[in-house]
Amino acid sequence: MKNYYFSTKKMCVGYDNKPIIKDMEISLPRGEILCLIGPNGAGKSTVLKSIARQLKLLGGTAYIGQDDLSQMKADELAKRMSVVFTERVKVELKSCRDMVATGRYPYTGWFGILSEDDERIVDEVMELTHITDISEKDFDKISDGQKQRVMLARAICQEPEIVILDEPTSYLDIKYKLEFLLLLQEMRKKRGLTVIMSLHELELAKIVSDKILCLKGEYVERYGTPEEIFESDFIEQLFDINEKNFFGNEKLFAYVKQIGRYER
Amino acid sequence: MNLNRKSRSITAFFLLGACVFIFFILNICIGSVGIALPDMARAFGGRESNETITRILWDIRLPRATAVLILGGALSLAGYLLQTFFNNPIAGPFVLGISSGAKMVVALVMVFLMGKGIRVTSAAMIFAAFMGAMLSMGFVLLMSHRIHNMSMLVVSGVMIGYICSAVTELVVTFANDADIVNLHNWSRGSFSGMTWENVKVMTVVVAIVYLAVFLMSKPLGAYQLGDAYAQNVGVNLQLLRVCIVIFSSILSACIVAFAGPISFVGIAVPHLVKKLLNTTEPIRMIPACFVGGSAFCLFCDLLAKTILAPTELSISTVTAIFGAPVVLWIIKGRKA
Repeated sequence: MKNYYFSTKKMCVGYDNKPIIKDMEISLPRGEILCLIGPNGAGKSTVLKSIARQLKLLGGTAYIGQDDLSQMKADELAKRMSVVFTERVKVELKSCRDMVATGRYPYTGWFGILSEDDERIVDEVMELTHITDISEKDFDKISDGQKQRVMLARAICQEPEIVILDEPTSYLDIKYKLEFLLLLQEMRKKRGLTVIMSLHELELAKIVSDKILCLKGEYVERYGTPEEIFESDFIEQLFDINEKNFFGNEKLFAYVKQIGRYER
Repeated sequence: MNLNRKSRSITAFFLLGACVFIFFILNICIGSVGIALPDMARAFGGRESNETITRILWDIRLPRATAVLILGGALSLAGYLLQTFFNNPIAGPFVLGISSGAKMVVALVMVFLMGKGIRVTSAAMIFAAFMGAMLSMGFVLLMSHRIHNMSMLVVSGVMIGYICSAVTELVVTFANDADIVNLHNWSRGSFSGMTWENVKVMTVVVAIVYLAVFLMSKPLGAYQLGDAYAQNVGVNLQLLRVCIVIFSSILSACIVAFAGPISFVGIAVPHLVKKLLNTTEPIRMIPACFVGGSAFCLFCDLLAKTILAPTELSISTVTAIFGAPVVLWIIKGRKA
């Protein structure tokens, strides 16, 4: 356990005391990217929310380094972990820069006034996430894709060691999807950022992640490197896809086969 | 942008402050007896002043105007807190039935105690109103757990308000003749009959709550992003929620205890102030809402006193005329 940045022991997650996924054993070294994949409703968001302490664990423990996550103080955790969720944020009269700056919350004083250092970090992060040009635009009036990038910038601005992202690429077009993932990899390299996220795009999960966690049913279906996950017909099994679904549409089935294969 | 925002805030505060000052002076000068400024200056200077004018100023006009200043600010701040809490621009102590709940309990306590010949103190009134406010707030919170549609929440608040008002009417009807006149005026909302004793109590209560709310401006700002993000940056959500509920209830209670229920100020003023400042940052909004509420209520009370003088309009009549269109404006501006 010593070498892992994030790990869980017999973690059990769910809502209202009803477990959805039991006995999760995750171990993730610092600076690695973990992707959660699985069919709709498999509990990807539930797992992420539980790790981010939005939901109470129903059993087991999660650790950041040596520290029990559930025992950590809120302000201490805020300096180590940040989140990007899919829920839409409804705010009024806030510029994109204001939104990014809210990530400085754990570092500012009693009244939350930004210091010069804070301002500089906000500017840097906006530069890094390529949103400097929309800095002064009203957050309420930009596109969903732009919002997504602003929210990522907000999360990075919090200077976390680990970031939790729930389907971060969902509103982005292909260019921004790639840019987004590139950015995560860059952050990992530069700052040793550890990433846990759910992804719908299996092709992307295959490329960017170091570890993949497959969810389906009550227990973790499989946990391993992309090579271990994308082999034979496991992906088809995971998503309950078989030839019958395609009424003989060869092209589509070939597409699925191709996604499920791992190539170096 | 930053500089721009700063200068805009300064201008806005200056404007609001000037409004408060002007309306405050007008409120003191204008009434059933007009008092010219030189007379006023003489009355306060204490030299060769007219005894009647001095008495009118010191015992009637000044305490009343001061009370309007404090309660107007408190009312607007209560509205701002509730809007932030429910993330709903048309939430306020009046539409959510909180004022009416406070009114009901105050009426019950007053009729009961007056019937026994016991004098009700200001502090006791506030406490009774606070209990009533919490009662309504409890109902609204229960409803908000069940229904997530914001307009429906407001509708249920209005219903709670109607029930409480009906009970109040009933109680007032059965009260002694002598008490009715007083109770009736108060239950429609009025700033008349304020004493220095009242002003002292409300100043202490409102000042403490205002300070506490201002100290909460950082977590309130994070709360505007929604529960998930607020919690992620380290806000203690439960504590913050409890604080908002209690503080907005105390403010609402304080207003009802002294002036009765006053409609629309809690919604209209924060909205207008927000547009004026062009921001929703609590650290600017909290003081601006207070000053804005003071200015708005001083203006409305001036009209209430003068339009049909010597008869006085209920303050809610005037605030509704100016406040309700703002609410319609808000609804119109909403994206579905």
